[in-house]
Amino acid sequence: MFDIHQGPAGEVIMSGRLDATQCDAALKFLGALARPGVIDLGGLEYVASAGLRVFLLTQKRAKAMGGGLKLINVHGPVHDIFRYAGFDQVLDITRAGD
Amino acid sequence: MESRTSVPGEAAQLAALTRFLQDFCKTAELPSAAALPFEIALEEIFMNVVMHGSPAGRLARVDVSLVLRDDDLTMAVVDDGPAFDPLSLPAPDVNAALDARRVGGLGVYFVRQMMDAVSYAREGPRNQLRMSKRVMRANAAPAGTNPG
Repeated sequence: MFDIHQGPAGEVIMSGRLDATQCDAALKFLGALARPGVIDLGGLEYVASAGLRVFLLTQKRAKAMGGGLKLINVHGPVHDIFRYAGFDQVLDITRAGD
Repeated sequence: MESRTSVPGEAAQLAALTRFLQDFCKTAELPSAAALPFEIALEEIFMNVVMHGSPAGRLARVDVSLVLRDDDLTMAVVDDGPAFDPLSLPAPDVNAALDARRVGGLGVYFVRQMMDAVSYAREGPRNQLRMSKRVMRANAAPAGTNPG
């Protein structure tokens, strides 16, 4: 359904459906990281506004520490949601295949 | 084709509602790209009811119905919580700087963006939100082509 873990290079890998019932788990995982950076969304199939809040809060924290998130491998339908929300203006997002 | 279901307004029911919608779309042979906007709209509207529809501990009852007629899919979400028109929410600023960004209002904004038509009515003790969108069926060949 939804999975979040850290890859070999320290990147965060999310897959499945980040719906409203999974956001607390995602925030807890990301909140435990000293410096959130690259998040690979290659396996993420679904996100709505509750899921976007996870990225927004994490980006605010990363920026406050002088860093920033890089969302990579974002698939078309999920990318559309980020774009509808205007989040492509406040997050570094790379589409799958780019 | 029509289907309906009813659940208590608690977050744990989101998975069951999503499955109900996915099963309907599968039976109707709609492609997943057609189902996605309805999945998002269902989460946004249902979670609004979960968060605001059950004051004083009494869980709201939420009825979801789907009607596919010709190429229009209509989804109605009806709840018996306090009167609330989500369409009255102001649109979020999707161009704000990071520090000023909020997620409140984004869900309803998505619903408006993705659906062809959205309407709210208070009918007796119930809120009724109705959303519809034209969908392409997976097995429908464009006119004038021979699928061979």
